[in-house]
Amino acid sequence: MRVTLQEDLDTLQASLLEEGELVLRALRGALNALREADAELADEVIAFDDEVDRRYLQVEQGIEALLARQTPVAVDLRLVLAMLHTNLHLERMADYCVTIAKLTKLVAGLEPEPRMIQAFEEMGARAEEMIRIALDAFVNRDVDEASSLVELDELIDRANRRVVRQVLELGPDPELSEWGLRMLLVSRCLERIGDHAVDIGEQVAYLVSGEFREFTDASHPVQGS
Amino acid sequence: MTQADTMVNVAPIEIAQRRERPQTPTLRETVFDIRNLSVSYGKTPAIKDVSFEIYRNQVTAIIGPSGCGKSTFIRTLNRMNDLVPSANVEGEVLYHGVDLYGTKVDPVQVRRRIGMVFQKPNPFPKSIYDNVAWGLRVLGMKDKLDDRVKRALEQAALWDDVRHRLKKNALGLSGGQQQRLCIARALAVEPEVLLMDEPASALDPIATARIEDLMHDLKNEYTIVVVTHNMQQAARVADMTAFFGLEVLPDKSRTGILVEYDATQKIFTQPSDKRTEDYVTGRFG
Repeated sequence: MRVTLQEDLDTLQASLLEEGELVLRALRGALNALREADAELADEVIAFDDEVDRRYLQVEQGIEALLARQTPVAVDLRLVLAMLHTNLHLERMADYCVTIAKLTKLVAGLEPEPRMIQAFEEMGARAEEMIRIALDAFVNRDVDEASSLVELDELIDRANRRVVRQVLELGPDPELSEWGLRMLLVSRCLERIGDHAVDIGEQVAYLVSGEFREFTDASHPVQGS
Repeated sequence: MTQADTMVNVAPIEIAQRRERPQTPTLRETVFDIRNLSVSYGKTPAIKDVSFEIYRNQVTAIIGPSGCGKSTFIRTLNRMNDLVPSANVEGEVLYHGVDLYGTKVDPVQVRRRIGMVFQKPNPFPKSIYDNVAWGLRVLGMKDKLDDRVKRALEQAALWDDVRHRLKKNALGLSGGQQQRLCIARALAVEPEVLLMDEPASALDPIATARIEDLMHDLKNEYTIVVVTHNMQQAARVADMTAFFGLEVLPDKSRTGILVEYDATQKIFTQPSDKRTEDYVTGRFG
């Protein structure tokens, strides 16, 4: 039994999960700032990204050291590679939270459209759920749970498409139009966070089976879907 | 220019087809076809019911824990076990379709076609030249002796080290050089297969790397089977890897069995058998 290797793997996975918790906090902060039009909170979310980046770097360096010193193979190698990818996906999610916070600051002073703010709250809650499921599936090596992310992602994608329609319906008012265009980007950020959660799910499937496959193939969609 | 014209002038995008991971190299020619091979020493079984094929111009690594019969196995491939009186071989070792243990097969010819390099370099206490020329003289391959010796030393990546001291005693060489001399000695008689039993385990990392590079080069001309304790070495040099494990028999005796045989990349990323995974990840025992 390679005790050191197992300890290193356990430590890395724990760090990765903590990074996931930080991302969830960033997302919740970004959503609250958006809902309350709270520029101060948005600044906090932007500053908080340093925490996520620190954790990202820590995991990355841990993986580098582990590869150099322990030369993992088979299931251990797959875990290390899956953590390497997942680490990057989490870091990108946090970047999207920062973008939402920055957009929130840009629309300060513009009148929001309450129906869309409510839609973002629902999309955000869905994204949070997807992050939790992705991390749970990772810990439990649960491919079924990971696969379920595809359906949840479809819900976010649909909500994103609805936002486009709603922005078009906002009418000719310049201020409202500016607000709407910024909100299109918010919607896009939430939609991308969902995509990254699905990507983590795909890493779970690779970790378990050794075969990498995309859950859905956007380049070659199945006819009729 | 219309949009249609523009589209015509644009080279079609090559959509990269997703390729299946190459499990095993294509166009393989079988050199050894091992069928239900069992070897025992007296009443003690060493390996049991081993079957697999070894392919031409590939490096095939045999890995597994101590006592699993790796060395026993490799020694059956050129009838070295004949030299152990109690050794008993059952099953077939087909070499290009001919059973090596058939009654009409001459073990001396077998060992000429299938050379062997051992764990510890074992040069004769003679000159470097005579070490390489010895097998050639024994086999009557005496024409162009100098050329043959030079070629063997070149193939073993030793020529540049020793060209000016061919008449010096081989025991004056470093351990790594001595091992390459033994490889040159094996290559001189123009075998088809090179068996290597832990060829680098007595060498330092730099000498080990040279032997591994050499194996990589030599497989273009030879078929190589290597027994190694060093799993990373197998991962580095081998195309195919056979994992031998231990099976406890009803009478509590232990015997070596072939657990898994596959492309090396498969063995070290996604082994099919839990026992293989436990061994390569260090969770064995």
